[in-house]
Amino acid sequence: MDNKLRRYEKIEFLGEGQFATVFKARDIETDNIVAVKKIKIGSRQEAQDGINRTALREIKLLQELHHENLIGLLDAFGHMSNVSLVFDFMDTDLEIIIKENTIILTTANIKSYLLQTLQGLEYLHLNWILHRDLKPNNLLVNSDGILKIGDFGLAKLYGSPSRLMTHQVVTRWYRAPELLFGAKQYGTCIDMWAVGCILGELLLRVPLFPGESDLDQLTKIFGVFGNPTEEIWPGLKTLVDYIEFKPFTPIPLKNIFTAAGDDLLDLLEALLVLNPNKRKTCTQCLQMPFFSNKPAPTLGTKLPLPKSIQKTREAERPSLKRKLLDGVDGGSLSKRLFF
Amino acid sequence: MNAISSQLKLTIYKCTSQQWLLDKQDLIRERRHDLSLLSEEEYQKIFIFFASVIQTLGEQLKLRQQVIATATVYFKRFYARNSLKCIDPLLLAPTCIFLASKVEEFGVISNSRLITTCQTVIKNKFNYAYLQEFPYRTNHILECEFYLLENLDCCLIVYQPYRPLLQLVQDIGHEEQLLTLAWRVVNDSLRTDVSLLYPPYQIAIGCLQIACVILQKDHKAWFAELNVDIEKIQEIARYIINLFELWKTYDEKKEIQSLLGKMPKPKPAPQR
Repeated sequence: MDNKLRRYEKIEFLGEGQFATVFKARDIETDNIVAVKKIKIGSRQEAQDGINRTALREIKLLQELHHENLIGLLDAFGHMSNVSLVFDFMDTDLEIIIKENTIILTTANIKSYLLQTLQGLEYLHLNWILHRDLKPNNLLVNSDGILKIGDFGLAKLYGSPSRLMTHQVVTRWYRAPELLFGAKQYGTCIDMWAVGCILGELLLRVPLFPGESDLDQLTKIFGVFGNPTEEIWPGLKTLVDYIEFKPFTPIPLKNIFTAAGDDLLDLLEALLVLNPNKRKTCTQCLQMPFFSNKPAPTLGTKLPLPKSIQKTREAERPSLKRKLLDGVDGGSLSKRLFF
Repeated sequence: MNAISSQLKLTIYKCTSQQWLLDKQDLIRERRHDLSLLSEEEYQKIFIFFASVIQTLGEQLKLRQQVIATATVYFKRFYARNSLKCIDPLLLAPTCIFLASKVEEFGVISNSRLITTCQTVIKNKFNYAYLQEFPYRTNHILECEFYLLENLDCCLIVYQPYRPLLQLVQDIGHEEQLLTLAWRVVNDSLRTDVSLLYPPYQIAIGCLQIACVILQKDHKAWFAELNVDIEKIQEIARYIINLFELWKTYDEKKEIQSLLGKMPKPKPAPQR
């Protein structure tokens, strides 16, 4: 434990969320830069529960998952209810990139981000895991332009048909209509809706459906797609929180995304379908023309970065040493065996 | 061609639990210290006892068998790398339950309920082994939990033979009696080393074979079609039959106190 504390040398404070504080640190054993997420101890009552459940969820899932587009868990250490998780260090995230107005997001750039998101998510879904909290802020990007899905605190294994799940997942703006109607049995389609919202946000540079309450969220969604009916969405009215809305006239997506090409609009329309069963899966989306059509997705190293990080990228360029080290021990997880 | 077995194999090869498949030589090496004080049979009897402690605690707490099995595997994995003197198994057993119930997400048990249950279970069901009351408190469990997590290398998901067993029995044709018995043999297998040495789908097949023999069901043709390493299945069956043999002559109530007395112990002991 003491060794572990000394192993990660704090460089700077990165941020604080509801459940954790994150620091940038140097792993003095490998000289890698890592992110150390220190889980907050809540009430005394919570401390009695031992290792925080959210942290356990991240540990248990990330230990089983290895994909270029998923954040890598490198280590976990702590004492009693005081837990720290060590992750790959990521320089920025899509929320920052979307908000930075000096960055131009071309179709090729958007294609690259979306391709990486869908590839990571496809791997998750094939392993029977729902992320349940996709949003730009959880799509992390490093200075090589590699996107990794992060924050598995809400992720869950699915597939037992009898087990009910909470619908209070996913940050509201990215929450699928079935969740807003209180569905307790849902699948990968909730993550697909979120990807659709993120794609919309990459194009508009503002959130697509910034609802101020759960009801307002549905109002904003139906304001675009029109009201759902039993015909287009069988079983709709059996959802526990279902209510009628005043009638809306649908707006064609091409009127909202005036600059988007047809292939991109097709993808949006495949993701943002009110009926969850009609939403396309990751695998289906990846086969859509958008990804094979020109322009080709931007190469990772050519993707735009926020100004603050551009500097670091240049500063670190000459340091080949770390690159070589990375190559040698295969992402620093060499002791975890692959078969 | 049997589609199920290849499907099961695929599932198993994907999981990193591979990291926790040990071989017999690993076990012999890691247990060297404990086996200098205990015979192999005595060592096994101690683990049979603690598997029962975990099972009883789990049942009292109304946990699913899946959670109980995961806790038992944590327990076995921990001592596959550490001597019994490292942590008192009477403390590690409830800690494994505590961690497994969180990992499996079938409702979390509060630490105070866990301690109370330990006290009642030790007093009412295992008084033939422990004369004193359960000595540990919440703090001990919390301290032990992280140590356990580290020793598991953070590998928390444990694949169990129950799910493959269900698929196999379904493939044979629905046989309630066979499933019930094979399920119980899988529970028994937790009292052997098979969960450390073989992947779950092989254990499921081994247990199913034993159940067929006991019920005198002839499914030889079906087994022959399985695309599995028959030698491994025989090894698994051997472990379980040895356990049944041992049970025939072993009276835990008489022997366990002296066995626990012989067991290597941590020092300093917690304050009683």
